[in-house]
Parts: sequence; structure tokens; C-alpha cells
Amino acid sequence: MTVKFTINGVGVESAAGANVLDTARRYGFEIPSLCHHEAVVPYGACRLCLVEITKGGRKKLTTCCNYEVLEGISVVTDSPAIRQHRAMVLELILAEAPDAEPVRELAKRYGVAFSRFEATRAVEGEGPRDCILCGLCARVCTEVVKADALTFNGRGDKRGVGTPYGEAADPCVGCASCASVCPTNRIAVKDTRDKREIWGRELALVRCESCGAPVMTEAHRDHAVRIGPLPADYYKTCTACKRKSLSGRLAKVGS
Amino acid sequence: MENLYVIIPRNCTGCRTCELACAMVKGHDGALGQSRIRVFPTGVDKYVQMNCLQCAEAACAKACPTQALVRNERTRAVELDAGKCIGCALCEAACPFGHIRFDRASAKPLKCDLCGGEPACAKFCPHRALEMR
Repeated sequence: MTVKFTINGVGVESAAGANVLDTARRYGFEIPSLCHHEAVVPYGACRLCLVEITKGGRKKLTTCCNYEVLEGISVVTDSPAIRQHRAMVLELILAEAPDAEPVRELAKRYGVAFSRFEATRAVEGEGPRDCILCGLCARVCTEVVKADALTFNGRGDKRGVGTPYGEAADPCVGCASCASVCPTNRIAVKDTRDKREIWGRELALVRCESCGAPVMTEAHRDHAVRIGPLPADYYKTCTACKRKSLSGRLAKVGS
Repeated sequence: MENLYVIIPRNCTGCRTCELACAMVKGHDGALGQSRIRVFPTGVDKYVQMNCLQCAEAACAKACPTQALVRNERTRAVELDAGKCIGCALCEAACPFGHIRFDRASAKPLKCDLCGGEPACAKFCPHRALEMR
């Protein structure tokens, strides 16, 4: 079923069950967000996608990533009041993660050069303060990859995201999806010819059967074969060798 | 069939204009490494242009855990829905022909989408080695 409503006065439509943020972006409206990803259930952690929604004559400011589209609502994505609220949210996030470049850039766009707040969260070690605790890494790991290696840990000012108890997590398959989706690019993946290092683990690699180059981690292959539709035969050869072998085969066909 | 992307290796001189066209149109900085199409030498003065075959049963789309690779019914290309991609690189590993490469910098795969039906590589090929028929 299709739902019709307006965004900034423009009539839009979307499938029932979709959220306002995805719909707005599909139509080219810019709404900032850090914690949202289409592949997972909306979570509303970063609060940056605040918009003004009028429903049945009542206006309210709300996050739109977790607001389901409704017939006849009208959405406003930008106004001085909305910008002011987003700036405040950014100031709070900046206090939490002052070392995160994407946060600093976004804050600058909203006129926030520094934060008046002081983070109270205890950060282990001397590492950079760049996690905004949105949990996108953990949500992708659980909902999509289905590896369940990451989670929120601790409470209150000791809250963090990572492996349980901060120890190397056995369920991690080393797919590095967490690093790909992290809005502050804080998750370190180190690839060498012999292994992939991530979350304190060292994962063995599948070697290309013809040239020996790394293809993927063994754990990721085993996991993909177990829960996915393709057998392990698909994950044996590296990209370069696969191309080379096909080009050789095509050359024979042509001559 | 209409709108068929045809690769004719016999006509290819290895000038790699297609790679440049692809990199300029689809890459984020015009660097050749961003090109989806690659020209492979296969002998003396012989070349094969290697590009995604848009398989009817695409292994990349099957492997994708988020259905981020979907068939465009109009162009019949398997296209990347970047918003759904989580950057796990399974598509790269699964493609039997090595036509998808994963770009670590953007955390997304480089995948030919036939430029929405008008591929730049075919348009710029000076030797009619790539054509839309």
C-alpha cells in the first residue's frame, strides 16, 4: 500500500511501513544522521534526524528515522528551530567524541566549533575519544551478518560498544562490516598477507588457490557458506585470478 | 533482445579509452583504479575487455546479506543500492568472474550498472569493440 504525505510542501509517496528518513532521502531532501543505516532496524540513537512533523493539526519535533510514514502528515526538514536543536545535539555528541572527524565536520556545518559540555564517560586507556555509542556496528553484526560478536557493554558513564567484556570475541568472523558502517570510522582493521586483525582477534585468510593472495577470512567464508545460499566453491579464487582465467577463456572463444 | 551490451574483443586495440571513460563517469576522482571495466591482454596484440556480465543468476546478488544488489528491470543490470550495503565484501568474493572489486576507501563494491542503459565505455570506444545493440 502507498502512503501519501508532504515533505517541505512537496507531495511524496512511499510504501506503508517505510520510515520518513529513507523516503525523504529518496526524494533528495537532506537530513543529517550518523546512526542510521537502511539495512538495520531504525534505532534513533544520534537524534540528528530531528524534523518537525504535523499530524492532525499537532506539530512536534521528532526523529524521523524511526517515524513510520503516515497518510496526510506534513514534514518540515529544516527551520531555525530544527537547526538549533540539531546544533545542541551535535554539541552533546561532540563532548562524547571530540576526536571523531565526521562529527567535528558536521558540527562545524551547524556552527558548533566546540562543546560547552564535558564528557563524564570513562574511556579505557588513552585511545582517541571517537565513539558516539550509536551501536550501528553491533546492530549490523547481529541483524545482518548474524555473527553476534558485538554488543553494548557497561552502563551509565561506563557504557561502551564492542566485544563482550572488551575481550577478543570468538564469534567475530572478521568480515569488517562494522568498520564499513561505523559513522566515525573508528574500528581498526589491519590486513596483512597472512592475517586480518580486528577487535583483538587474528583471523586466518582463505588463500587464492592459484596465486595464494588473500581472498577473505576463513571464518567469514565458513559463516557465509553456513547461512548463505552459495557453496564454498565460490570463495576459492582471488579477483585478479578469476578475471585472468575468464579473459583466457574468452580469448580462445574469439580466435 | 534489445539493449544488449555487447563486447567484441576482435575489435579491441587495447587503447583503454573505456577504462578512462568509466573512471571519469563512475569513479569519485577519475583515477583508473575506479574503473569497472578492465582491458586484459591475452596475447600479441590481442585484448579482451572484462566487464560485469550482469548474470541472469547473479552470485553477487545471492551472496549479498542485505539484498543491496538488485536487478534493474529496465536495463537488466544488477545495480548496487549503496544505502543498503554494509561493506562486507562478500559480493567481491562470490563473483565467479572477478568483475566486482571492493573499494576499501569508500567501503563499497565497484560494480558496473551499465550507466542506466547508456554505458559510457561503449559511447567512448573508438573502435566499436563495445556496443549497445
